[in-house]
Order: sequence, then structure tokens, then C-alpha cells
Amino acid sequence: MTARANRLRWLVSGESAFPWLAPLIAMLVVFTIYPLVYNVWLSFHEYAPFKRRVEPVGLDNWSALLSDDRFWDSISVTFTYFSAMLIVQVVLGMAIALLLDSEQRGFGLLRALLTLTLVIPPAITGMMFLLIEDPEFGVLTWILERVGILDGTNPILATGSTALLGVMLADVWQWTPFMVLIFMAGLRSLPSEPYEAAMLDGATSWQTFRRITLPLMGKVIAVAVLIRGIDLFRIFDYMFVMTSGGPGTSTYTLSLYAWQQTFSFIKWGYGATISLVSLILILIIANLFILVSKVRW
Amino acid sequence: MRDSDRKRYLAKVVDDYVRRRISRRRFLSTSAQLGLGAAALGSGMGRPFWGYSPAHADDMLQPSKDVLDWVADVSKPFRGTTLKLATESTPPSNAINSQLKPYFEEASGMKIEIEVLPLEQVLQKLTLDIASQLGTYDLYYIDQSWAAFTSRDVFDPREQLADKPDLAMPEWRVEDFLPALVDGIARYEDRLVGVPYDIPIFIMMYRKDIWEDMGFEAPTTLEQYYEQAKAITDEMGPDMYGATGQMKSGHYSLECDWTAWLWGHGGSIFNSDGKFSGNDERGIEAMEYWTRLYQTMPPGVTGWTWDGQGQSIAQGVAASMMSWGEFFPYFDDPSATKVSGLMEAVRCPAPKRPLRTVSDTGYGEIPGVGHQGGSSLAVSRNSKNPDPAWIFMQWATCHDTQVLITALGGGTGPTRTSVYDDPRIIANNRVGPGTTRHLGVVRETIANDMGSEPDLPEWAELSNDTIPVRLGKYFAGDYGSAKEAMDDIAQAADKVVSG
Repeated sequence: MTARANRLRWLVSGESAFPWLAPLIAMLVVFTIYPLVYNVWLSFHEYAPFKRRVEPVGLDNWSALLSDDRFWDSISVTFTYFSAMLIVQVVLGMAIALLLDSEQRGFGLLRALLTLTLVIPPAITGMMFLLIEDPEFGVLTWILERVGILDGTNPILATGSTALLGVMLADVWQWTPFMVLIFMAGLRSLPSEPYEAAMLDGATSWQTFRRITLPLMGKVIAVAVLIRGIDLFRIFDYMFVMTSGGPGTSTYTLSLYAWQQTFSFIKWGYGATISLVSLILILIIANLFILVSKVRW
Repeated sequence: MRDSDRKRYLAKVVDDYVRRRISRRRFLSTSAQLGLGAAALGSGMGRPFWGYSPAHADDMLQPSKDVLDWVADVSKPFRGTTLKLATESTPPSNAINSQLKPYFEEASGMKIEIEVLPLEQVLQKLTLDIASQLGTYDLYYIDQSWAAFTSRDVFDPREQLADKPDLAMPEWRVEDFLPALVDGIARYEDRLVGVPYDIPIFIMMYRKDIWEDMGFEAPTTLEQYYEQAKAITDEMGPDMYGATGQMKSGHYSLECDWTAWLWGHGGSIFNSDGKFSGNDERGIEAMEYWTRLYQTMPPGVTGWTWDGQGQSIAQGVAASMMSWGEFFPYFDDPSATKVSGLMEAVRCPAPKRPLRTVSDTGYGEIPGVGHQGGSSLAVSRNSKNPDPAWIFMQWATCHDTQVLITALGGGTGPTRTSVYDDPRIIANNRVGPGTTRHLGVVRETIANDMGSEPDLPEWAELSNDTIPVRLGKYFAGDYGSAKEAMDDIAQAADKVVSG
């Protein structure tokens, strides 16, 4: 009894980490663990509209996924978007970071301006690009028509082959600066000695970048890819605002599909199942990436 | 004051208000002094409530005072109550929320919180509220396509009238609502899912100046409409297109356009066996017509809902549309559009083939070229304040409030028969903001051309996803033919319906 009381006293004393961690643990339990457990529970149930209650359905929701073409379409769209955006934003982000990595006059202002896109809510960015790509008065449409890329009959966001590209444009505009800022921070922390040695050895710029910068930046790039990749996998806002998933299903992502099933059609169980699949895919991809890129936290 | 003088002055007051020469407060107080809202002002119909007596005309300083007195009287036990409603941004809701609500609040001592949201968000809030049974919202704004799945979650107003005679507004009669609207919007099986609250309905609106320049008469057949639209696009495109639409993939608006062409070609969404029939011979003919008409529309049309469609007319990009009549007063407003005074409203072109009857279709579907997108207002069974909500609902849908909504809310179509004949409404029958010069066409369309979607619990999913997503794919070129697209919709729709 005394030992138990002592242990309890120790737990709540300043010597133990528990009192300091308790608020965080409570928040994790309330906002992460409980919703996750509830979501798993929900994936084995479904809301019965006429009975006004949630009923167990066993594995029905999971087996329904296998034969749901819309689900597979949304997986395909999500992976296409995820892969394309990661590649474009990493390449473009690195290129811009290298260009801006200078102490010349005015570059500081340019770097500061880069943060502006990050503070705009994605839904607002979506609205902006909806107007920019409008077939009647959108400036991008106008330019592309003038240079002969569009012929005026196929609106960017209402044509199956271009709608996803139209949405990607908004993402690139808003989030490439995020990559730039991370890469620039990485570039500025690199040691100068390898570069001095390369210069003495007569290495070209490309050789310096490929043999020195890229290997040294590996961990920074990996962290940027991981953070951005997780974000891209959950993409929702741009599609919701710009295309509603259309035309057809050409811009329907997993998140959008899960939202629709959950909130528009009140298929809570099915929506929860799609969300869980999304979570499982993110976990697998992220952990594989961490393993391959040898990122240490 | 003689009755004729009163009417003339009344018309002037309404006109002054709509032209913004006088403030809302002055309009309301002046109109109250004139006895607005009283049937005997010469409407000739049996005005349901607050019968105006010429003998007491000079004493009756506030005709709507009767309404507010009643509100004040029955609301005594409920003072301090807060009522919540989530509604689409429609003229009635906007007029109540921005202009009329304070009068109810002042009289009743209640607080009214109205959330004005896009239609799809209203559906989410409503379905979540029904599913959770939390009673977050006391009143439901129910689009006609949701009537089936909400029918058990709201009070039937006839039961409320019978069960709570002490709370019944005198002469607030269900019979005054246009019968076609009651059947098309608010009835599911043997229950009334509230009462008709607003009635956006498809009418034909066209640029009279362009039609005259081209030597055309208003189209009377669908084929004639296509020929005229094509001629205008050929002659004036790309600066002006003959027709326009609301064809955003995956959006309910696309389904609305489709039904008008489908019904107009004698087709139906379901057959009497409850199977999807949009892929039969008439359905395919309708799709082929629509595909041709689509070629006469602006290129952006597949990215627009009704907003984009209305804008394309307002900004002078398109010359005609068969769409929601409530756009018409907006078109007539010179401060908002380039087409004020140039638009004309007529009934939709006649169907190409005889319409199917309700017995030929399934789930109460009523074919007609005048697609209606009306909604009803009902008290939620989950509400913690059903009685105060019932008082508010009666006030919001009574004759007097509907007249004010129509006058203040920009000429939206009233759902009560008596409102169409009210002198304040007739007074606005001229070019300008808030015009009511299209309401005759709206009334005729409701009586003769109105098409109503089927009532089944799965309709929300079918009309918001299954059908418009695949129609969007069709117009994006993802199907080889209209037949292939409609067969795919048939397969998916029947699967949804069969569960």
C-alpha cells in the first residue's frame, strides 16, 4: 500500500515526466487515438437511414471496395496527382532554391515574397485558379489560345485530359515555394569545404551539383518529400472548389470520395473505410520511403 | 382615400422602393399605412387573412400589424427562444434573413439564426442533423429531391394545424398553396413534407433584341429552339452564343438540364417498374438533341452550374436559356447586368413527343419541360422547440410575408395562389430590378408544364452523383456514344436503387 502510494506521489511529482506529458497524451487520446479507433469500428458498421442507427455489417464495407470502380478510379487519380506533384515540386523547388541562393541585392525580398503563397487558404487558391482558367475570361486560357495550345472548344477544367493538369497548376503555384524554402535552408547549411575542393579540381557546375550538393542535401530532400507527400495524398480543397471531382471522375481523389460518401450520402461506414485505406496507404508509402531514404528522426 | 387612388399610390410606393428612391423602412411603413397585405385592395381573390375592410381603411394603419400581433400573441410563452434554419441562398431566404427577420424577432421576442449555404452544404447539414437526431436545426429547408428521405423527420403541417389549434395562424391555409406545387414539392406518399417555400422553375428566357434582329419568333418547339440557337451561334459566335446551360460534371444542375430534355422528348427517368429508363429510345433521342444544342453553347458551359449559366446571359455572352425563372428579375436589373430590358420570358417550347404520365413512370415522377427545383419548409421532428418553429414557419410562408418576399426578394415565384394577384406584385410588372413581369409565365408553367423529379430515398445520391457524374463523362468524351453513356447510367442507377 505504501509502495503504491509512493509511486502515485512520484507520478504526480515534478520528478516524473508524466505531469508534463499528460496534456499532450490527453490531446492525442481525444483527437487522434479515439477518432482512429472509432473509425476502425465504424468501418465494420453502416448507418441505416430508416432505422436511424448504426448497424454492424461485418466486412461488407471492405469487400465493397474491391468491386467499387469509383474507388479504384480515385486511387488512380490520387497516385497520379501525388507522383506528378512530388516530382514537379521537388525539381522546380530545387531549381528555384539554387537560383535564389545568393546574397545579391533584392534576393532577400524575393525569398520573403515566396512565403506569401503559403498563407493563402487552398480553397481561395482554388477559386483564383478557377478564374484564371475560366474558358471565357481566364487569362491562362487566353494565353494558351493565343499560342495555339488551346483551340477555344475544350475548357481546361471541363476536359477530361486537362482537368487534372489545371488543378495541379494551383498546387504547383501554392506549394513549390514551400519546397524552395526548405531546400534553401538546406543549401545554406552545407559546408563550404567540398565546394572549394571541387573548384580546385575544376569540376563543372553540373558535376558539383550532382556529386556534392545532391548527396549532401539528401536528408533535407527526403524530409521535404515526406511532409509534402503526405499532404499531397490527402488532397481535397482544390478538387472540391475547382472541379468537384469532374469531369466525370477524372479529378476524384480518395479524400474527395471519402468526404462524399460520408457527408453527402451518409454512408459513414463506407466513408470511414475509404479513409482508413487512405491512411494505410500513406503509412506504407511513408515508412517505405523512410526506410529507403534512411531518414533518421 | 378612394380604393383606386390607394392602388395607384400603392403601385408608386412599390415602384419607388424597387428603384431605390425610398428606403426599406419607409417602404414598409408607408405600405403598412396603405393597408398592404389586405386582400380587399382589389385583388379580387379571397385573401386568406387579415381581411381588409374599406370601412376601416383609414383606421387600419398597419395591415401587416395583424400578422405581427398574432406573432406577438402566440409567441408569449416562447420569448427568448432561438430558432435555427440552414437554407440555400434563395430569394425567400435572403429576403427573410436580410430584411424581414427583424420584424418577426421584434414581435415574437425570439431570435432567428439563418445559415445561408450552397445547396450541397444544406444537404450535408440536414442529413447529419437527421442522422444524429441532435435537433441542431429547428426548421429544415428541403429541396424537392430530398422529400422522400426527410419525410419521416418533419411534421406534416396538416397535423400541426389540427394538433395545435391555439398556435394556428388564422386563415393560414394549405389550400392556398398552388396544388401542383404541393404535389410536386411537398408531398411524399400520403404525407406533406412541410409546405412549398420557393419555386425556381424552368422557363424560356431569351434576348428579344437578338431574336428580332434575326427575324425569329419565340421558339414554340424544341427543334425550332435548336435551329434558332444554332443560327445565332453561327451568325454571332464566338461573341454571342445562341443558348447556354448548367452542365458542370457531377453537379445537380447537370441532372436538372438533362431531365428537361429527357421529359421534352417524351422520356422519363424511371419506368413504371421502377427501372431507369433514360436509356430507352426517347432517352437516346433526348441525348442526341442535347448534344446538338450543346454545340450552340459557350465553351465554358461544361464547367458551370446555374451561377455560370446566369452570368453568361447577364454578361451578354449567351442569348437564351431554358432555366430557372428566378434569374429573370436579376437580368432586368441595370445595375447588375448588361441585358436589362432586353430579356423576354415565355413558356418553354412544347415537348417533341407526348409526355409520359405519372402512371408510366416510377416513384411519383411527373414529366414536364418546366423542371421545377422547388423546396419546402418544415419543422424538424428533432427540434427542441417545435412550437416556436411552427409559429415562425407559418409567418415565413403566409400570404403577407410571401408578398413582401416577392417584392423585396427580387421577383421570385410565390408558392401561394393569392400572392400572384396581389396588387403589390402586379405593380412591379415593368422593366427594372425586382420585376414581376415574368411571373405570369411562371404561373402558367407551374400549371401546365411543370416537371417534378421522382421521390425515392436514393434520389439524392442519384441526382447529385450517379447521373451527373456520368453525364459529365459523356460530355467530356469518355463514352463512345450517348447510348453507351445512358446504359452505364442505367446499370449504376438500378444498382443504387436496388441497394
